[in-house]
Amino acid sequence: MTQDSTTSSVPTSLVEVAGLEKSFGDQQVLRGIDLTVERGTATALLGPSGSGKTTVLRSLNVLETPDRGCVRIGDAAVDFSALSRDKGERRRAVKALRARSGMVFQAHNLFPHMTVLGNLIEGPTQVQGRTRDEAVADARALLEQVGLTGREDAYPAQLSGGQQQRVGIARALALKPEVLLLDEPTSALDPELVGEVLAVIRDLAAQGWTLLIVTHEVRFARDVADQVLFLDGGVIAERGGPEVLSDPRQERTRRFLARMLEAG
Amino acid sequence: MLPEPSRGRRRCVSVLLLLASLALLLTPVAPVSAASATSASTPSRPVVRVGTEGTYPPFSYIDPKTGDLTGFDIEVIRAVAQKAGWDLTFTKGAFDSLFPALDAGRVDVLADQISINPDRSAHYLFTTPYTYSHGVIVTAADNHDITTLADLKGRTAAQSQTSNWTQVAKDAGADVKYVDGLDQAAALLAQGRVDATVNDNIAVLDYLASSGSKKIKIAGNAGNEVSKQAFAFRKSDVKLRDQANQALAALTKDGTLARISQKYFRSNVTVPNSGNVKVKGSDTGRSSWQVVKDTAWPMLRAMVKGTIPLTIVSFICGLVIALAVALARLSSYRLLTVPSRAYVSIIRGTPLLVQLFIVFYGLPELGVDLPSFVAACLALSLNVGGYAAEIIRAAVLAVPRGQFEAATTIGMDYGQTMRRIVLPQAARIAVPPLSNTLLSLVKDTSLASVVLVLELFREAQVAAAVSTRTMALYCLAALYYWVVCYVISVGQHALERRLGRYTT
Repeated sequence: MTQDSTTSSVPTSLVEVAGLEKSFGDQQVLRGIDLTVERGTATALLGPSGSGKTTVLRSLNVLETPDRGCVRIGDAAVDFSALSRDKGERRRAVKALRARSGMVFQAHNLFPHMTVLGNLIEGPTQVQGRTRDEAVADARALLEQVGLTGREDAYPAQLSGGQQQRVGIARALALKPEVLLLDEPTSALDPELVGEVLAVIRDLAAQGWTLLIVTHEVRFARDVADQVLFLDGGVIAERGGPEVLSDPRQERTRRFLARMLEAG
Repeated sequence: MLPEPSRGRRRCVSVLLLLASLALLLTPVAPVSAASATSASTPSRPVVRVGTEGTYPPFSYIDPKTGDLTGFDIEVIRAVAQKAGWDLTFTKGAFDSLFPALDAGRVDVLADQISINPDRSAHYLFTTPYTYSHGVIVTAADNHDITTLADLKGRTAAQSQTSNWTQVAKDAGADVKYVDGLDQAAALLAQGRVDATVNDNIAVLDYLASSGSKKIKIAGNAGNEVSKQAFAFRKSDVKLRDQANQALAALTKDGTLARISQKYFRSNVTVPNSGNVKVKGSDTGRSSWQVVKDTAWPMLRAMVKGTIPLTIVSFICGLVIALAVALARLSSYRLLTVPSRAYVSIIRGTPLLVQLFIVFYGLPELGVDLPSFVAACLALSLNVGGYAAEIIRAAVLAVPRGQFEAATTIGMDYGQTMRRIVLPQAARIAVPPLSNTLLSLVKDTSLASVVLVLELFREAQVAAAVSTRTMALYCLAALYYWVVCYVISVGQHALERRLGRYTT
């Protein structure tokens, strides 16, 4: 399930964010974010709470509507500084952008009234118009990948937290997105369940999925990420390869990492 | 708050329109051209609709042996119809709903010992009188303070709101308490809750004979005036009234009226100075048990044909309205939120009884003339809609925000999110409070009798009027309601289990 493009177009970055700004009331949480994510890479977003990293992620699928700035994923782009005045056009643009990403929530947000299989085929059959048989076959393959074969007919409430989050990942993947957005996927889990979820994410990175992860797991980020972005106060304070985490140049990054490693 | 309000608005509107049109479809449409005497242009046998109480023996009551409407007034109007060449249909309702029904064109003539007085003469057309009687004052047997109208000053009197005798009692200075009919007034007297009631001497004599009650007595005459009773028509129905007058004259001449009167009263009350009236009582000698046995089947029939269909139709239509209103209230369009808030506020802020009266007696003034059952369904549906809308709205708001977000990120629009993700979860939350609404509705259908729907409770009242076995009959009615509600609560538990199967 490689995401390598077979088209002959010039390989540019898959995700591109420019000049993103967002305020909640009179509090500005994003003060101009620029970032790019290359196809097939994993990017970790780190930073203290309130730094805006989750807002960045939620701007990519417009769960939050940025005040200004531009988001592009693949060939779908929305310029929030110049949103169309036509509602239909705006809706189509947002829909196209959303269709290119999948989202894994901190609190999994599985549909409690549907079985595991039902959760996985809901998007493909209801939104993408694929046949049920095809969607079920794909869903079974995904469940095998996240280690949940045999739990198709369980309801979310019957699963452990780690299993629920793995179903959440499979549900996002079922739509075959170009990039997977993960919002603190292990923060709500009991410590002993964190490992199984991280292992699944590690697998995805190895298979060449494009990942954008908001996380507090510094060691995991160092192991898996190709790119590390450190946010503080609504701007990207430091960026680079995973080595940034071992040898940060900025003092505030250093302090944050020291705290995180102490706690972790 | 939904994740992205601008999303799917057009879809939202179309869903609402769909629901609204569905609600209209489900509301049974009234036959606009109900057969009415006034509109019948053909000279051959017009259908005349008669309004009567059916609970006022011996004038208008249900014969306990046959279950058919009968009585002095009923026989007279039938004889008139025969002479005039009419076909009759009868509509039974509480006395206080008779004049509104005549005004609204629900019925064409009232046959219920309607006394002629100046007020009524100004608004209605009366025939020549067919009953001459006088008013009597009734008190508890052990009351010796009241013998004349003058003694009523400052005392409490139980009367029907729109009865002629009410005015007599008021003029005498009595403090009037409103009841549905003579049987209720008599019960209040026997219980010592009121001091007196003023009514027609014949009706009172019949009550005393039927009930065998030793607790109340005729204490004296209500003045010396003779009261004249006649059939009442709308002002515009001059032709019908004239036909009735011709028929009454002929019936007087050929002795038919006198014969009917002799049968009921052993004297001729259709002329002034009839002499002593003797009544045998419309119903005597049945035990409470016998009364209950005789009434059980008519009450069951009224439940199956009135109460239950009324409940089912009103609840389904009400839920459709409620869903549309709840979604409108949750929308970000002021054009939808403002009217939906107003609707909920009006429904919850006014009595159901008033809503029923507006729909049934008020709308005909605007040219919307709905049959009884439809009017009752409409009023009850609108009522359920207002209450259930708030339940559904609260249930939707109780679904976690993350569910909306998850649905959004897998690409669902507003309609899909609601239909597939949110409403199924909201349904589970809403079942217990909606069951409460349904149980209330079952019992609220008893109010439908004011718009002339014959339902369970009205049937009990009809039976109680003749037999005076109030306690037994109302307990039987309560038992019927309880059984229906019990079945519903069993259904509620099954539904909760089914909807909650995904929780552990």
